[in-house]
Amino acid sequence: MTLKVIEEGAPTRGRAFLTSCIKNFLPAAPLLLIVGFFFLFPIARLIYVSFLSNENTFTIDNFVTATQEPYRTGFLNSIKIGLFSAAIAAFPGAIAAYFIETRGSSKLRRTIAVMSGVLANTGGIPLAFMFYAALGIQGQLTKILKFFGWDLYAGTFSLGSFMGLLVVYLYFQLPLMVIVFSPAIVSLRREWSEAARNLGASQLNYWIRIGIPLLFPSFIASFLLLFASGFSAYATANALTVGNLPLTPLQIGGLLDGNVSAAQLNLGKALGVVMILISACAVIPYLAIQRRSARWQK
Amino acid sequence: MAKMKFNFHPPLAITLLILGFFVFVPMISAFEYSIRTPIEGGYGWNNYLWAIREEEFLYYILRSMWLAGITVIITLFVLVPTLTWIHLSNSKVRGLIDGLSLLPLVIPVVAFAVGAQISFPDFVQNTVLELPFLYFVLALPYAYRALDIGLNAIPLKTITEAARSSGANWLRTITTVIIPVIRGSVMATIALTFALSLGEFTLTVLLHWDTFPTWVTFVAQENILGAIAISMMSLIIPFLILTIITLFVPERSTQGRK
Repeated sequence: MTLKVIEEGAPTRGRAFLTSCIKNFLPAAPLLLIVGFFFLFPIARLIYVSFLSNENTFTIDNFVTATQEPYRTGFLNSIKIGLFSAAIAAFPGAIAAYFIETRGSSKLRRTIAVMSGVLANTGGIPLAFMFYAALGIQGQLTKILKFFGWDLYAGTFSLGSFMGLLVVYLYFQLPLMVIVFSPAIVSLRREWSEAARNLGASQLNYWIRIGIPLLFPSFIASFLLLFASGFSAYATANALTVGNLPLTPLQIGGLLDGNVSAAQLNLGKALGVVMILISACAVIPYLAIQRRSARWQK
Repeated sequence: MAKMKFNFHPPLAITLLILGFFVFVPMISAFEYSIRTPIEGGYGWNNYLWAIREEEFLYYILRSMWLAGITVIITLFVLVPTLTWIHLSNSKVRGLIDGLSLLPLVIPVVAFAVGAQISFPDFVQNTVLELPFLYFVLALPYAYRALDIGLNAIPLKTITEAARSSGANWLRTITTVIIPVIRGSVMATIALTFALSLGEFTLTVLLHWDTFPTWVTFVAQENILGAIAISMMSLIIPFLILTIITLFVPERSTQGRK
């Protein structure tokens, strides 16, 4: 009898395995195919090619060159601009998100949501024009500041310098902060602050013991996402700098266009892989924190 | 319509004032440049008229629009049925697909462009139709999450069973029952996918395609004020489209569950 079960059970289970495979994967096939071909395949190939020499043999030379000058400075500048623009935008963005979400009418919140969506996606030439018009040498704001005795261009400032780029990046980083941090604020329940007050907590007490500890992980997560966004921004840097500021995305773009030639054909790919690694260091913790806070943000 | 109640909150007002200053000063400065008429002196709409009369203007704006439209169609066609199925079956691939959908956030667009350039066969690289699929990938993390929230907020199983037992097939269930029920999320997905595709620059330019955003770069070399006028339009157009989309969606459904 046991033998019979084994004999008949095995094939049934085999078929069940097959059908469960089909049931589990078939409806997702279009998504998996598109993501596989248009996303995973290029990334896998990028990683593979980054390990190839000009003669298509295995090498790590591309990565060695990627950590030397001028690429080293490129990475340092990119990381710096990512960190600084995120650090400057995070706190004001969080405060703005808080007041908008807790005090704003629903019409205002929806308008801000749409505007942030558009502004967080601005970049490139249009953004460069706006800042040339406002803070360029002939810019309106520059003239106003000069009138009040602050000559912006007295020192080494220019929009294509590190400081200039930093100011311009804030234009999309601030709205991005409002977008990514707002959900955390929405999920702070009013009951919690009421409960705290009923138990005798002051406003300050509530924030120190409940509000800030609850929001802190989301704040860090948002900061990390902002870092990734500033670190990998290409269009705006491309429009504003004229080769004076080495940034990794620009260096990769130059190698890809063939404007810059390197002895190693696959150097650009290695730079891309290093960029992915750095970006992953920020985005993966971001996703992990988001997933964890999703537990109480319901 | 009932008059909107306006409550004045000092902290909110100050926040909006500072943000507004930061957002609108560059915008208005650029706008002031775009309406300058250096030859006649003073102000006028000459630069805008010049831009609209350019032959390529309509060509590129339509091209960007239909590429964005195809991206939206791909997104909805692929994601709505897949997500519905994932929610209903509670299949084991859910974790895998959740993870996959977030992965594009990790990859900087520049690196993605390099990968795309070296891996696709010629028949893919030679058609501009590769762009909507790549835009789809870029918008995937946002689109997926928007639809996921929408489907989470409704009693999906009950609704589908009701539709199915009333005799609707799957196609009908999705198009006439599920999509209307989650229309808030669907509209949000359409809006953000459309906006992202319309404004995408990095991938497009590195793969040597020309769309509206990359055309602006080209115009800037011959007529700077005209290019500023086009840039202003490239900001205002998506803003109008998004505003129209979001304002026409009933409020309850855009808020998700609450």
